[in-house]
Amino acid sequence: MQYEAVVGLEIHVELNCLTKMFCDCPNRPGDEPNRNTCPVCLWLPGALPRFSREALEKASLLCLGLGATLQPRSAFDQKVYYYPDLPKGYQLSQAHRPLARGGWIDVEDEKGATKRLRIHHVHMEEDVAKLVHELEGRTPVGLVDFNRAGAPLVEIVTEPDIRSAHEAMEFVRNLRTRIRCAGSSDCSMESGTMRVDANISIRERGASALNTKVEVKNMNSIRHLGDAIAHEAGRQQAAVEAGETIVLHTRLWDPEKGATVPMRGKFEGPCVPDPSVPEIVVTAEWIDRMRGRLPEMPPQKAARFQRDYDLPRELADPLAADRELSDYFEAVARMSVAPRTAAHWILSQYLPAVKERQLPVAGNLVTPERLAGVLRLLEKDEINANAAREVLSRLFESDASVDAVVEQGGFKQVSDAASLEVLVQQVLDADPATVAAYRSGQGKALSFLIGQVIKASSGKANPKRVREILLAKLA
Amino acid sequence: MSGIFAYRDEGSESSGEGFLKGKSVSVQANMSVAGWPTEAGSLALKGFKAIEDATVVERLKKNGASIAGSTRMGELGFGLRGDEAARSVAEGFAAAALVTDHLGEARLAAAGAGLIGFKPSYGLVSRYGFFGLIPSMEAIGVVARSADDMALVMAAVSGTDEKDFSMPAEEAPDFKECAGQPGIKTLGWVREIADRLENGDRNAFERALERFADGGVTVVEKSFEGFDLFRTVHQVVGSVEASSAAGKYDGVRFGHRCPAGKNWNEMYLKTRGEIFGPLVKPFLFQGAYFQFTKYDVFEKACRLRGHLVREMGRLLGEADALAMPAFRGGFDPREAASVPALYDAFHFTLPASVAGLPAVCFPVGDGGPPVQIVGSRLRDAALLTLAGEWMKTTEKES
Repeated sequence: MQYEAVVGLEIHVELNCLTKMFCDCPNRPGDEPNRNTCPVCLWLPGALPRFSREALEKASLLCLGLGATLQPRSAFDQKVYYYPDLPKGYQLSQAHRPLARGGWIDVEDEKGATKRLRIHHVHMEEDVAKLVHELEGRTPVGLVDFNRAGAPLVEIVTEPDIRSAHEAMEFVRNLRTRIRCAGSSDCSMESGTMRVDANISIRERGASALNTKVEVKNMNSIRHLGDAIAHEAGRQQAAVEAGETIVLHTRLWDPEKGATVPMRGKFEGPCVPDPSVPEIVVTAEWIDRMRGRLPEMPPQKAARFQRDYDLPRELADPLAADRELSDYFEAVARMSVAPRTAAHWILSQYLPAVKERQLPVAGNLVTPERLAGVLRLLEKDEINANAAREVLSRLFESDASVDAVVEQGGFKQVSDAASLEVLVQQVLDADPATVAAYRSGQGKALSFLIGQVIKASSGKANPKRVREILLAKLA
Repeated sequence: MSGIFAYRDEGSESSGEGFLKGKSVSVQANMSVAGWPTEAGSLALKGFKAIEDATVVERLKKNGASIAGSTRMGELGFGLRGDEAARSVAEGFAAAALVTDHLGEARLAAAGAGLIGFKPSYGLVSRYGFFGLIPSMEAIGVVARSADDMALVMAAVSGTDEKDFSMPAEEAPDFKECAGQPGIKTLGWVREIADRLENGDRNAFERALERFADGGVTVVEKSFEGFDLFRTVHQVVGSVEASSAAGKYDGVRFGHRCPAGKNWNEMYLKTRGEIFGPLVKPFLFQGAYFQFTKYDVFEKACRLRGHLVREMGRLLGEADALAMPAFRGGFDPREAASVPALYDAFHFTLPASVAGLPAVCFPVGDGGPPVQIVGSRLRDAALLTLAGEWMKTTEKES
């Protein structure tokens, strides 16, 4: 029998707000333990939650960035469970009336076809405290760090539309790009600002029934997410084929073993409407205001780059995925540089150079103006590509003008016919064998001769002109 | 004064100027006064000291009042067993006392001591720094000797507070100009409530209505079939909210804590087993029961609550306020030692708590039991005006 995986994702995203969700404490979980606390996030008696406007803004931007529909009215519920990381006995979350519903992300499946993966809803919730287990002498102690308690989170719940590890990974990559673009979170699975849990079941290919699912947690990279889904679907298939029944439970991904392992059953408490946080009313004006603050999302931007700058998709997509990078590209393209040249150079030269030097994409010595200066010289044939790469590298080291760097390095191409003809003749005279090879029809010989002339010019000869002169002389 | 106060600080005389200058107000031990023990009559808060003033305390002080002390109270302010707030007024230690109102405690505490008791509209008084048990029904009420003092206290403590987001952004009634409020000209009374009274109580209640009529108030009979549902809704919704609200009492950060045992869970279970008393514990169990196994009943109770709120709105659209009895013969709220007994004793005060409406309770003279007047939301000052005028009339008579 042919099986297919049916996967839905639950994605927790930590919003990059300045304060926590229900108090003014700094939202910096990494600080010295219990530094960022107050009666509200410690849930001392008499404290009352004060829902943060910033959290609502960042969450709304995130929802709009995913194409989800903000609900006019939403509310917080109490997810009741007792655990030391949650000292008030319930977590404030939106179980019954979420902030937004719907939305989707289009991804490319394994065959290159576009597939629409739907979002069920997006809701807000507070994070819980962090437990630290230590030894005091020989006595094990459990310590609670409340810095993270009340940190603002958003949970994105998808429909079970995902059919493979590839689709899940594409979905999360795309989602991450959009949320970063919306400015709501840096979405790092590695540092834990994005946590992705997968609900996985299998069924006969093409069937429509949903079978019992297994929840898999503890993936801390997109690759692990893919590996975990592939492994768990395989495990379930083997189990079913062996006549076992899949039971609802939670498993942890163990990256060492490359396998999912069962974890203890989790106690699921009820969700009761919270009487202390007022209902959240989102007006049409508010949504308009948020929409106005939302930058262009990557898919729209990539489409625009293809249309307006005539870029091929493989250049448009990676540029559009990052807000700083796309801004940088557009700045360069506005300065009389062919957009395709700009795009190609930014992706193949500038970006690797920036990464190697661990510099920010925007705000290093190589401003869009300076890169545009280099590319204009290249387009006018005043320097060649090798020289341009070298000039670019030197621009990272000094703030001298592009012209000065070209001048000092002697990178200007030699294009005048007289001096080039002398060089060409010298090369031809020195290598009759290659000339003969060319004449006997070996095309490679021409490239070799061009290389020799450029070498003789210490790299400054204009390759196009050299080729013309060589062709004329060899004709 | 023995036994009235859980804590007093003789040095806490207010030096502030203001319209409450020279007035002394007592608070309960679940209302934060910075640095004072705030144990709320519960082992769960044993040794807990307030970090900052509750908004009500801050506002009393700012307007010149001194805090007489924090009065002894029943466990977490649920019921009136062991509550001494009214005594602090009756015996002259304070002109007024702030009293937790979950079921009608402020009204019945006053009624038992011949004082005036008041529960304001929900959301009119900030709950910041107040340790309540039923967030959507609790209120800080007031017990006072005179309606004038009560109005002054309300003028000080009412009004929006940026620390309590559950308060709607609305203008508080003007308590300083109570006399200027549109008066209460028609009083409705609900036949089904009166039918619940024993003969003696019923006669007294009818006499009180007659006195209002003699005083120029139009008294009209109303009908409200589902009156007993207030009790059901309060018990279900209230206990569910209490179960959540009491989740923070675990002995870890404050309060009484049992020895560690095998693990945190054991310590936690033992602690929670010990810190709640015979009234609160079954109430919390009841709430957990609805939360965990009868959630549909809770949801039904929430819908019923909406219905009851609308019905009260309908009645209050037909009359300026509703007159109701306060006490129920044969049930002493101070003696109620079980949850059912508590609800029996507070039967008539629950509607205002469930519907978030203002209610005042005062003696109407003639030796009869006190009467409770329930008004529309934010008609708080008008209720105090009526009570003030009435109490002055009866004082002259006696």
